Amino acid sequence: MPLDFFSAMEVSASGLAAQRVRMNVSASNLANVSTTQAAGGGPYQRRDVVLTSVPMANLPGQRLGPGAPGGVVQGVAVAQIVPDAGEPRWEYDPGHPNADADGYVAYPNVNPVEEMVDMITASRAYEAGVTTLTTAVNMAERALGIGRG
Amino acid sequence: MFSDVDRLEAAMSFHRERHTVLAGNVANLDTPGFRPMDLERAVGPTTVPAAVTHAAHVAGPAEAAYAVSFDDGGALSNPDGNAVSLERELAKIDANRTRYATTAELTSRRLALLRYAAGDGA
Repeated sequence: MPLDFFSAMEVSASGLAAQRVRMNVSASNLANVSTTQAAGGGPYQRRDVVLTSVPMANLPGQRLGPGAPGGVVQGVAVAQIVPDAGEPRWEYDPGHPNADADGYVAYPNVNPVEEMVDMITASRAYEAGVTTLTTAVNMAERALGIGRG
Repeated sequence: MFSDVDRLEAAMSFHRERHTVLAGNVANLDTPGFRPMDLERAVGPTTVPAAVTHAAHVAGPAEAAYAVSFDDGGALSNPDGNAVSLERELAKIDANRTRYATTAELTSRRLALLRYAAGDGA
């Protein structure tokens, strides 16, 4: 099956969805920057999104030159969201209900600067995806204009 | 009479499919280990005959031959092995869109000429 514009739009949409997940995860990391009591005990652990490419459409093999890789059109999907097992941030606060015997409280291993950078990257990637999607729409509209006038 | 329109149509199909491949590169901007791909119109015969899988089948029209390549433009990949350059991909997408629009315009004008001839110059 030749690749129609809808394949291009689906590919772009998969990218947008993945960037939204990154955005949500960063937001959740930032929101939990001081959560000392997460589900399962201990402080909140920052989450990381792992993306993976997924073949979404194929040019039939015979249309490719020799030695061409299969699965040319790669969309993207979230493979998993993994907790970051890095050391928590220890702060001395003996009055805190979650303080240990020495008076130290384990705070999440969230670095707000890192999360902000992640968010900006995700937002830029999202914009690039929107541009690509808009281009596909414009191209399809151009084709619809053939023979008109 | 329509053979040049067919050729223009083949060019438009190529640019449409190339856009899909490039869109995949943009979607994988943050995928570890991803190498960007590109589509080129193959040198040599521009079409390959469609495969016939059964003796009683009629061969379809010949399909365009494309070459798929990994193309990172010599860009350094990130530490995670991803070699997609956003600027490069967007520039390619824009150039490809312009070519598509040009071909669409040419097709339009070619058809207008044929219509003019068929309509007795009216």
